[in-house]
Amino acid sequence: MPAAELSTVRKSILPQNGDTWQSIAARMLPGVAEPEAVSKLQSWNLHVFMRASGAAGSVRGNNPILPSDVIFVEPPLAKA
Amino acid sequence: MYDLVIRNGRVVDGSGMPAYNADIALSGNRIAKIGRISEKGRKEIDAEGKVVSPGFIDPHTHFDAQLLWDGYAKPALSHGVTTIVPGNCSLSLAPLRAEYRTKLVGMFNQIEEMPLKAFKEGVVWDWETFSEYITRIRKGLAINVAPLVGHSVIRLWVMGEAAMERTATPEEITAMQGVLRECLDAGAIGLSTSYVDMDEKLQPVPSRYADASEIEAFASVLSEYGRILQIVPEFYDADLTIARLDQLAEISLKYGIPTTFSPLFVNADNVDAVDRVMRRVDEQFARGARVWPQVQTRPIDISFCFAVPSLLFIRLPGWYRIMRFGTPDQIVAAFKDPATREKLVAESAVYNALWPNLRLRLVQTEANQKYVGMTVGEIAAARGTTPIDVMIDLSIEEHLDAHFLAADMGHNSDERVGALLKHPRVHIGASDGGAHILSFSTYGDTGFLFAHYVRELNAMSIESAVKKITSETASIWGIPDRGLLQQGYIADIVIFDPQTINRGEEKYVQDVPGDGSRYIRDAMGVDTVIVGGGVAWTAVAGYNAETRGEILPGEVQKTRPKTRQKVRA
Repeated sequence: MPAAELSTVRKSILPQNGDTWQSIAARMLPGVAEPEAVSKLQSWNLHVFMRASGAAGSVRGNNPILPSDVIFVEPPLAKA
Repeated sequence: MYDLVIRNGRVVDGSGMPAYNADIALSGNRIAKIGRISEKGRKEIDAEGKVVSPGFIDPHTHFDAQLLWDGYAKPALSHGVTTIVPGNCSLSLAPLRAEYRTKLVGMFNQIEEMPLKAFKEGVVWDWETFSEYITRIRKGLAINVAPLVGHSVIRLWVMGEAAMERTATPEEITAMQGVLRECLDAGAIGLSTSYVDMDEKLQPVPSRYADASEIEAFASVLSEYGRILQIVPEFYDADLTIARLDQLAEISLKYGIPTTFSPLFVNADNVDAVDRVMRRVDEQFARGARVWPQVQTRPIDISFCFAVPSLLFIRLPGWYRIMRFGTPDQIVAAFKDPATREKLVAESAVYNALWPNLRLRLVQTEANQKYVGMTVGEIAAARGTTPIDVMIDLSIEEHLDAHFLAADMGHNSDERVGALLKHPRVHIGASDGGAHILSFSTYGDTGFLFAHYVRELNAMSIESAVKKITSETASIWGIPDRGLLQQGYIADIVIFDPQTINRGEEKYVQDVPGDGSRYIRDAMGVDTVIVGGGVAWTAVAGYNAETRGEILPGEVQKTRPKTRQKVRA
């Protein structure tokens, strides 16, 4: 079965190096104003948004996004 | 003359085929003949009325530390488990530089709830490389060990402190690939990683700072050896789990390797979640990917006392922080401080439906013995107070040595769990053997499978159950010559009574280095356990001093195909 024939699941991405809410918003939600796009992403990704920020002095600072995170780029799908 | 003959047994050979009556003769460490054996054996076992099956394989354990002081992985061996896979969840005890021992012990303490004192008093740190660790545990090994190497420790080895801060550079990735090759050459069965775990400072473990390209670079090395990738996905959310298993499926297809994710629980709060995940698993298998979900047999029971952090409180930050970072005196002082207590009680309100149903398991003082066995709600009624105040007050009175049980916390739907366990694309595992030793017993899941799902519920045949935890596991993990009772196979064998095999009652024992305690369950109905052709344990005589455990699949010069196929990331 080709990947294209898989059933539809909630769309997500894996972050690129150094990604922030803003950079993901610009890439994945280009037609949406940045504040609104960032807000949408944060609400769709509470597993990241609600995470405590990095340790004091850490490289990622206040960016809660880890390089390994799954980031959803749409809301949960309605139940079939 | 054969070395050992097992006579008159009911052979359940691990293939899933119907059981049959036969004798089994062993020569050295292998099965020499199955059928009617006229020749005598130097040793003979009468298995009349018993099932004779391959030894069970437990694919998700954390016996990494215990193996340093207990080569039997007690009591797992007595339950019929002849092979264990430690090193899951991105954590192994090697490779490990001396300067990161404290760090790794902290991670094991935080994630797997293993006491710091056990490491301090039970471990002589005389290894750094994976090969040295293997040499260390091989002495006195009575159970077979198929060790994973942990992604987080490889990162620490190559990147040092930066492992906990950032993605790796191309040079660091190349170096980590080299370390993984060294580990696989030394006997690692695969690589484990985690997308959820937190370290001793409640920061993400090193593996979580890796991007997708790093995982693929590791997968390309695993493909050279045909070895497995194990992950812990964000199992608390179905969408996240599906996204993660899609990532695994692409890796499996691209690099031609098996992958497995654990755990997959049946959650009463979201009963559709497992069905959605399994539909996706089925689709990915239909594409040719191998993404094996691991499902445990036992329901979730959690015991705790406030002296050590419990995962039950992970979503109550105020409580968890006190348990995680406080000394016993500091915790008692916090409970006695009115302002702190008020905050804790307020935070605990989210679980007010849970607290009354907890049961008091154990206290030390004579005065409180009368409450043991009662629910917290019953004690609250007797004392004229609230359930949460009972827990706090008893803990103060017992200087934190009051133990509570939260029973049946999930994964307890017989119908749903039974359907999962017999699903052809479900891998029975996720016992966590050797971990969480003060929260629950991780021993006896195999006995529970036979007692509950085979005998009581008739949800699966004994042949299917044996196959699930023997040949299927060996096949998924690429463990050669084990998991079946066939001529020429290694003689890892369990003899058990199908009418009585079970897990015993959970009990609290003090047998951990540093005067530590843990919850265990004794085996019931298991008669004899044979590892590598030698009797390793019997119900009558206990553990045998002669040990024959091996590292599986073993050093690569013995096992690797001559031509390596490289797939570039």
